[in-house]
Amino acid sequence: MYRSTGFISFFLRRLTGVALVIYLFMHMWVIGSVNQGPGVFDSRLNMVQTPFFKLAEVALLAAVVYHAFDGIRLLIIHYTGITDNRRSMFYAVFAIAALLTVAGGVPILLFMFE
Amino acid sequence: MFDFLSFGKTPEMIKKRKTAFVRVQRFNPDEDEKPYIQEFEVPMTPETTVLDALQYVKTELDGSLTFRKSCRHAICGSCAMNVNGSNDLVCHRNLPESLDKTGVVTIKPLPYLPVIKDLVVDRTSFWEQYKRVKPWLVPPEDAPEKEFRVSPEEVAAINSAETCIMCGACYSSCQVIAMGKDYIGPHALLKSFLRVMDPRDTIPGERLDISGGEDGAYRCHTIFNCIDACPKNLNPTEAIETLRKLAQRRIAFEEERAERQKTLTEAAD
Amino acid sequence: MRIFQMQRYSAIALLFFLTIHMIVVHYPPFHIDFDRILERMDNPLWKLIDILFLFAVLVHALTGSYMVLTDVERFNRIKRVLAGAAIVLGLWAMYYGTMTILAFSPPT
Ligand code: FES
Repeated sequence: MYRSTGFISFFLRRLTGVALVIYLFMHMWVIGSVNQGPGVFDSRLNMVQTPFFKLAEVALLAAVVYHAFDGIRLLIIHYTGITDNRRSMFYAVFAIAALLTVAGGVPILLFMFE
Repeated sequence: MFDFLSFGKTPEMIKKRKTAFVRVQRFNPDEDEKPYIQEFEVPMTPETTVLDALQYVKTELDGSLTFRKSCRHAICGSCAMNVNGSNDLVCHRNLPESLDKTGVVTIKPLPYLPVIKDLVVDRTSFWEQYKRVKPWLVPPEDAPEKEFRVSPEEVAAINSAETCIMCGACYSSCQVIAMGKDYIGPHALLKSFLRVMDPRDTIPGERLDISGGEDGAYRCHTIFNCIDACPKNLNPTEAIETLRKLAQRRIAFEEERAERQKTLTEAAD
Repeated sequence: MRIFQMQRYSAIALLFFLTIHMIVVHYPPFHIDFDRILERMDNPLWKLIDILFLFAVLVHALTGSYMVLTDVERFNRIKRVLAGAAIVLGLWAMYYGTMTILAFSPPT
């Protein structure tokens, strides 16, 4: 395996991407149940309100934020052609994603214990 | 302590060593089931290269060690190997600088390619993909007697891509190549970039069809391994990004090229 | 090339829509309240934004999955099948999602 910051970012991008696709269809399945009346909707929504899913929600946030900022990085590279600062850009993306995950994840977890 | 301060520099104690331990990945398809690592102790001076060490092993210790090399000064591109996990030309790489704290250097064949024997890999797919991009120049019919006058800006835009020596270091470091050999690969895309950007070339549209097609530039995922691996400090990623942009405005680019060629041949007459 | 461009433009659209989505749906008081959603979804403009968002997200997700799979040589041989499956899945999901968005209306 040829390890480099580029490989790590690529691997995480794919991993979060696939995870988000799976999430997307689950999300549609839950929200889509409004068509089948409030009973089904409530039962499905309750299913995803358990502590396990709250934790999964933090992971989801991390995935979204990382994927988004990695995408911004790629857009910057594509439109400006910067390739020299590839390492620092990768670390910057990683730091921003971590920061935002903490900033958004703590309220989610606090809300869980309310 | 404070080891991290000397990161990237060779610690004094390594420089003072008289010998190095060279770990080489061995594989003989006739006898071995799996590749294995063999260690040799090799004398060294501050000037020894990794290739010198391999050559010492072959002549003095084990004549069956197989590897490719020719020019010994980083121009033929035969000796690309994986040294301590990163691809490089071993004739170009200083041995003391490649050692870790215990004086060990690990040499493996180029990754993701089928191994023929020891450090020799099968580069068939490398050349097959290279052929796909038509790596030669197609000049206009009415080539001038003496020379084409190309402007300095146009030469600068090619970004020294012509100094590629086809060693395969970028190709075998590419993660996309690792997943499927039908991707054209950074080496051939860099060459395609060189020909597309060349104002003397008459078929940029056809080239962009191939290098901007399904197996071309759009399959690059901007992993940058090729830049990290290139022993000539070339920049295939930037070339690929340029190809992507040009492929999106292919028609306009072809017209610009036709215009430019009129002036190019006139100026030379 | 076309797939790459679809991916890229939908990514740019998503940056925009996802920011809105995150702020509107999750910003204080941090929990999903059915009435709040209904109130917002009453506005046809929100319905339009959500449908566009759904479209962008589906394009991005399906082209992304397609690229993940076709990068592997084995799947690249059946890429037509994959593309067909992605289109069918996309159309169905678009239909289902649009119906869902349109069905959100305050109980009368
Ligand atoms: S031997 Fe020629 S490039 Fe190393």
